[in-house]
Amino acid sequence: MGRKKKKQSKPWCCTVSLSLTRFRYCNREFEDEKILIQHQKAKHFKCHICHKKLYTGPGLSIHCMQVHKEAIDKVPNSLPNRSNIEIEIYGMEGIPSSDLKEHERQKVGTRGDSDDDDDEPAIKKPKPEGLLGTAPGVSVQGMVPGMMPPPMGMPPGIPMGPMMSMGHMAPPFMHPGMPMMPPPMAMMQPQSGAAKPLFPSAVPTSSPGAPVVGADFKPISSGATISAPPTTNNPGSSSASSSSDSLKVQTITTTGAASKIIHPSEDISLEEIRARQSKYAKCIPTKSSEGSSTPTSSTAEQVAVAVSAAHAVARQQEALNHAAFIQRFPVRPAGPPITMASIHGMAGTPVSTMSLVTPMRPAMLPGPPILGGHLMRPPPLGMPPGM
Amino acid sequence: MLIKSQTEYKIKSPPEDAISSVKFGPNTNQFLLVSSWDSSVRLYDVTTNNLRHKYSHEAPVLDCCFTDAVHSYSGGLDNILKTFDFNTTSESTVGTHSNAIRCVEYCSEVNGIITGSWDHHLKLWDPRTSLCNGSYNQGDKVYTMSVCGEKIVVGTAGRKILVWDIRNMAYTLQKRESSLKYQTRAIRCFPNKQGFVLSSIEGRVAVEYLDTNPEIQKKKYAFKCHRIKEDGLEKIYPVNAISFHPTHNTFATGGSDGYVNIWDGFNKKRLCQFHQYHTSVTSLSFSHNGSILAIACSYFLNEDNPPTPLPEDTIYIRTVTDQETKPKFSAS
Repeated sequence: MGRKKKKQSKPWCCTVSLSLTRFRYCNREFEDEKILIQHQKAKHFKCHICHKKLYTGPGLSIHCMQVHKEAIDKVPNSLPNRSNIEIEIYGMEGIPSSDLKEHERQKVGTRGDSDDDDDEPAIKKPKPEGLLGTAPGVSVQGMVPGMMPPPMGMPPGIPMGPMMSMGHMAPPFMHPGMPMMPPPMAMMQPQSGAAKPLFPSAVPTSSPGAPVVGADFKPISSGATISAPPTTNNPGSSSASSSSDSLKVQTITTTGAASKIIHPSEDISLEEIRARQSKYAKCIPTKSSEGSSTPTSSTAEQVAVAVSAAHAVARQQEALNHAAFIQRFPVRPAGPPITMASIHGMAGTPVSTMSLVTPMRPAMLPGPPILGGHLMRPPPLGMPPGM
Repeated sequence: MLIKSQTEYKIKSPPEDAISSVKFGPNTNQFLLVSSWDSSVRLYDVTTNNLRHKYSHEAPVLDCCFTDAVHSYSGGLDNILKTFDFNTTSESTVGTHSNAIRCVEYCSEVNGIITGSWDHHLKLWDPRTSLCNGSYNQGDKVYTMSVCGEKIVVGTAGRKILVWDIRNMAYTLQKRESSLKYQTRAIRCFPNKQGFVLSSIEGRVAVEYLDTNPEIQKKKYAFKCHRIKEDGLEKIYPVNAISFHPTHNTFATGGSDGYVNIWDGFNKKRLCQFHQYHTSVTSLSFSHNGSILAIACSYFLNEDNPPTPLPEDTIYIRTVTDQETKPKFSAS
């Protein structure tokens, strides 16, 4: 039958039908959307590697990415300016409005010529144009290949026996068919309506990209080609708490015989385990290797030592600095200065001689006040002398 | 029309030992900071693919970050926080912890450096003066942390999660137990600051929300990933790395299985999976506009009998497209 056809649409559906017949990527025109979709699948959305037919550009591209690890940046067999693979087009759904306009403009200009192309001008089925006009989304779905046996209304495309006779009765170019059509159309309507719910669940990949449809069901065609959406098992609080005891144990227990956690059995981080390797041992400051100025530093002291030893004056500075830092934060209690002050007091003694004797704790907490926190800071030593 | 694009390439002169962290600069697709177990921190120009700068610690470096385009901070097993100025190529010691520094993050909202250590403490540093502004006990070794606006989310040993307000560290905003049953491996916050993603050593990732409203909390969930089934045995790998796309709120995860997946956390979709890399993925970083993903691969299984020779340490620079990183439909 005629695959490139078109004009007759004029009378009824104007934009919708006009645009209906044309296809974005190669500008061919089709009798109806069903064939258009077949064409799209075969020509533009077929994987060049495994020949799987996908439903949309993004679908194809994701398929190639996922299955073959290849990136596709253009729609195969497409016109240079229409090759954007990221636009989700299914049938006539999703065609950018700029393209539609452009197409219509062209169409007006070329109408006469294209008539000649029709190999079978006579049979333009009245096709679902009416339908499309009122509810494009629905009708498109109804058209999904394979989903819907052509109702007696004979959808488009392939006019069959009985219809033919109708065609004869109604010469294509006039719309004599019009009056006769209502019955078939009426029949189709319910049918396609019924098909709608079935369709998305049965053939998720074919859902058109239209957001409306997407929201209802499987949102995106490409989603279906992705094999592993996240599972949503929620490790509820119950399971978490129940298991926590066993986890406190210092080893990691694999869940079952059929699975194995690829991790050393000790429940500490991979970095800690790795850090034990002999090749790193030499450079890790165990007791005294760093904190250059203070050989006495044990790990607990290093902080204070490093901070204080370097500059005696720094204490003062730090306190000031800290105060400045804090001032930037609106919600600050007056605490920090206190801490700093106390530290300062302690550290104020010759810093260079600072040794194990010096109370380390406060020095480790030079920061903002940790009142009632879980920190092990001794009770405030005194009230802030005020900074 | 079908092009096998040059989507990724390897960085030349990579670190000589395992890569602990890769981070892109704040406003660039060009500069990548890399810390390594070979005790060095390197700055690469990924556009021209060459090594621009390198400085050393005395021990393996576990983390690093930029504060601006020309300053980096780094810390590691030597317990020392160092800073490096790439303009003057001068380095200096900022301060120390009493055990290894595991995490180094920069919080632009308060202009502070935050370090997390195995000494159970978080410390706050002022980059202008390189002085410590505070030290806060986290109750256990800090394994991972992520800045979320003016908040910071800290993951420690013992599966604890602590949320702090950096402007007022006087108390912990929230203290939670991880919703995952196994050791916390990585935490990263959503760029939109609504929540964070948490991964564990047991091939699982949780999406959590900061808002404690029960309605919001109901949205949290977790899913399995980074698992390989072979001969009836399912091998479950640690999820070592998470990196958020800066604008799409989607994120990449990297596992010890060598795979990188990109997820749409709000819509519970996997957007794509890259090919399997030759060994564990230890760190990931999206560039500032999300067009490039740096993928660090190093053997990191700590098996009793490691393969010989060890898989080489490699950093891949991969160009990613919106198609791989953008949610397929807008989240409601």
